[in-house]
Amino acid sequence: MSLDFWLPLMIVLSSLVPGILIFCLPEDRIGLRTAANLVGATAKLLLTAVMIWGVFHGHVYETRLPLLPGMDLVLSADALSVLFATLSAILWFLTTLYAIAYLEASPQSRSRFFGFFSLCVSSTVGFALAGNLITFVMFYEMLTLSTYPLVVHRGSPESMRAGKIYLAYTLSGGAVLLIAVAWLKALVGPLDFTEGGMLVAFAGLYRHEFIVIFALLIAGLGVKAALVPLHGWLPVAMVAPAPVSALLHAVAVVKAGAFGIVRVVYDIYGIEFAAKLGVLGPLAAVASFTIVYGSLRALNQDGLKKRLAYSTVSQVSYIALGAAVLGPVATIGGLVHLVHQGLMKITLFFCAGNLAETLGIHYISEMDGVGRRMPSTMAAFTLGALGMIGVPPLAGFISKWYLGAGGLAAGQDWIILVLAASSLLNAGYFLPIIYRAWFKEPRGPWPEDNYGGWLETHWMLLLPALITALLALAAGLLADSPFSPLQWARLIAAREYGL
Amino acid sequence: MSFLDLSEMAQKLLLMLGPALPLAMGLALLLRSWQKILSRLNGWSALPALAVAVILPLDTYAEFSWLLLKVRLGLDDTGRVFLFFTSLLWLLAGVFGRSYMAKDQNQKRFFFFYLLSMSGNFGLILAQDMASFYLFFALMSFSSYGLVVHNGDAEALRAGRIYIYLVVLGEVMLFSALVMLYETTGSLNLAPLALAPANNIIFALFFLGFGIKAGALPLHVWLPLAHPAAPTPASAVLSGAMIKAGLLGWLRFLPLGQVASPEWGSLCILAGLVAAFFGVIVGVFQKNPKTVLAYSSISQMGFMTVSMGVGLSIPAIWPVARAAVITYALHHAFAKGALFLGAGLAPKIKDGRLQKWLLAFGLGLPALALAGAPLTSGLVAKTALKLAIAPLTGPWPEYLALLLPLATVGTTLLMIRFFVTVWPVRFASSPGALGLRLPFIVMVFFVALGAWLLPEAQKSAHKALSLDSFSLALWPVAAGILLALVAFALFRRKTDSGIPSIPAGDLVAIVSWLAKPCQHVSQKYLGPGIQELRATLSMRLSPFLQVYKKTEFLWHMEKVLSSWLAVGTALLSMSVVFFLLLLFSWQ
Repeated sequence: MSLDFWLPLMIVLSSLVPGILIFCLPEDRIGLRTAANLVGATAKLLLTAVMIWGVFHGHVYETRLPLLPGMDLVLSADALSVLFATLSAILWFLTTLYAIAYLEASPQSRSRFFGFFSLCVSSTVGFALAGNLITFVMFYEMLTLSTYPLVVHRGSPESMRAGKIYLAYTLSGGAVLLIAVAWLKALVGPLDFTEGGMLVAFAGLYRHEFIVIFALLIAGLGVKAALVPLHGWLPVAMVAPAPVSALLHAVAVVKAGAFGIVRVVYDIYGIEFAAKLGVLGPLAAVASFTIVYGSLRALNQDGLKKRLAYSTVSQVSYIALGAAVLGPVATIGGLVHLVHQGLMKITLFFCAGNLAETLGIHYISEMDGVGRRMPSTMAAFTLGALGMIGVPPLAGFISKWYLGAGGLAAGQDWIILVLAASSLLNAGYFLPIIYRAWFKEPRGPWPEDNYGGWLETHWMLLLPALITALLALAAGLLADSPFSPLQWARLIAAREYGL
Repeated sequence: MSFLDLSEMAQKLLLMLGPALPLAMGLALLLRSWQKILSRLNGWSALPALAVAVILPLDTYAEFSWLLLKVRLGLDDTGRVFLFFTSLLWLLAGVFGRSYMAKDQNQKRFFFFYLLSMSGNFGLILAQDMASFYLFFALMSFSSYGLVVHNGDAEALRAGRIYIYLVVLGEVMLFSALVMLYETTGSLNLAPLALAPANNIIFALFFLGFGIKAGALPLHVWLPLAHPAAPTPASAVLSGAMIKAGLLGWLRFLPLGQVASPEWGSLCILAGLVAAFFGVIVGVFQKNPKTVLAYSSISQMGFMTVSMGVGLSIPAIWPVARAAVITYALHHAFAKGALFLGAGLAPKIKDGRLQKWLLAFGLGLPALALAGAPLTSGLVAKTALKLAIAPLTGPWPEYLALLLPLATVGTTLLMIRFFVTVWPVRFASSPGALGLRLPFIVMVFFVALGAWLLPEAQKSAHKALSLDSFSLALWPVAAGILLALVAFALFRRKTDSGIPSIPAGDLVAIVSWLAKPCQHVSQKYLGPGIQELRATLSMRLSPFLQVYKKTEFLWHMEKVLSSWLAVGTALLSMSVVFFLLLLFSWQ
């Protein structure tokens, strides 16, 4: 029972314990609550850093606790989980900062908010570190339940309705997922994630069952990953406060689905086995359709957050598309987008939140000339949006390059067409926003102006957006440096394909 | 050519500084406290790039293994010539711009975009790998949007809109082409496309993608709108330097001098010829001098496309054709730069004999050069082109021998048209700033000398000096002047509005112009019949139309999707879709 055993659990607990603590705190203990939040976030960052260092030096971290006979709760650190856990640790830290500034003045209970916020992150890190499918599903469901109070936080009729829809979708998706997992467990036993796939050992058996189970797994995970037509909850759920939307779209819920698809394809089925079963083609088709459909829907949204939400529908499916194409290059493209999309999208949501909180701007049509009032925010937004379009040297370019090259390498040339169409559409709905903000004259006074300091808005709102924008820039510009997301994705791909 | 011996470290540093300095200065403009100092130095940030072109030895490379997908910068022989004229143009236009924009309220914004575009333009010339080439190309294209719309009037905004549409389209085409090229070569190094039937799509994507920048028909529509809409110093670099980025892209990626491709070659020659004439014909009907110049650029790029087509047809001639392309590019960059700066200077010339002569000479020399008059750099370029097409076989030599001089007659006409439009009706009362005149004079100096000193042009320069080519060059210019006199006599009585004109951006205007009369004609002549047909149709189709009329019918679908009941249906249908897809791919 050494550090190597307990570290994964400690990383999960580093946000779970502050969460429980915050629930117990009275509403007016702002200082203590903030301290608990920040200590937890910092601890998680440090512990994750230790884990990266360890994994890089060949340590094996695994917490294995017996749950039921033949069913263990496993938290372990392989390259893929480290990639995602690091992303969530960094983004949680920034989002906590952001949320403190964003919500401390709001009338609703902040203890409740920050408590569930911490639970939400604990479950995110939990499913990232999950070492088998059972553990994954547990944290996956915990995520559903802990995000519901965040979505309905405002308590307005609109958000209550959004919460209902959110629950309806995710719970039924979860049920489908559970059925699939139980079935698979009954067929093959413990479902430990194995690089190269664990079902490979059962090749030749249960062919039809595996195919049906795959479809069920994807349908279940596809709810959170917002694959069309299961995406209905996502644009509705954007009524949540900005930090929640930011986390929801960047690392938590949507990513849980995408990450699950990645796990199922690579570490349960194994990509080569999945290709042999012939299940990758349909997944690629659904993902591509989602990419184009989401962008088309984003085109005529005037609500800023709504447009961003549809953009998420589209962008997250890049990850599924990368997973659905056989070949290391496409795998790298999908995996690296897991991180890149998170960085870019959280920037965009932070900026949307800044506009709403500082100037009361919720609609794109109100954004004329806002670049003059909030230049740093809009600079960050511009970086994020250009990245989404795939303009180099931003992160999105690297993802698109690898996805395109991977598609061609696998002989699936049509993927280039999907990427081209998506880039055109992305430009179609992001460039007009940038144009309005920088090149149009302001129409008149802003809907409200809540901040009169020497910065353009509260520093705790501004700083996270700037940092994530710079990270999105760095992830692309320094893509070939040793610790970039791209290098990690290459490492993972090399292991999955046994190169 | 290197007369300075720099250590390897210093060479690499200088190489990097070429694109890095303008980028850094541009970004530093965002810091308020730096703006004052920087605004004096803006124009000079092209100096390191010029130094790279002049003093660095060929084949200097620098690799930055951490950046992007391993950035490689380097100086090769084509890059050196391009960097030389590009950096000189940016330098002179920048110095000119400091005086020209001095009273502009938004000059900081202008220089921010100016410096970023500059960095992109230098970078793409030095880039030796696909990712960084694409990076710098995108940096230049997107940043120069800020230059096009700088004036902020309706015209500039419209130009900017059409420009950005084509930029995005071009970017997507180039991205696809680059990824596909990467897939066939397996390396990110810049390598020309190997010609194979399977690669025709990549060829077409490169041809069109770079063609947008190079003003190839019919993708040129943004150019006559955007080049004049930008402030003069930006017009000069847009039309002189940035337009050549498209040409450089072709040189970098098309299989020139490798495998014969008569089909693509002929297509290029044809496209070039059409552009050469089209630019002239539409250009002479323009009223804005800068628009005339923009059309002249389209026409001149046509000549370069012709020589490229020659190289595609017969790889063996490529060294000669390449010399022609490069000579032409350099000559046109200087001449067009000088003409644009002159067009900006003209209204600020004082009413005095010396000043008027300066302007007349300064505009006259580059104009004559473009027309290929004897002793000018233009004749060197035209001779180089002639040398290139001489070995062609098939029907082309005959056609070209007839058409090229005709195109030159057109260029002469176009230049006369430019003179008529640009010559000020009334001169200013005080002389323009020295900061305007000096860069202009230096530019004209380079127009006079440039092509003669180019190593690639030695052979054609020699030949251009012979008596034979002298007389051959004289008649198109003379014919052009004669034609202009005839036209002048014909239209002398008419006021300016009586002279026919074609709206700038030709095709764009035609499309919107066509839309109106079509509606009109269909209503007027086919009126009753059509209306009846329409009525019947709409009755028959009304149930479907009802659905489509709600353009937001997708929105309704979304709304349905967000109800409790829909969730189960959605999951079910998702599974059904998935199973159906599985059925199709069942082995």
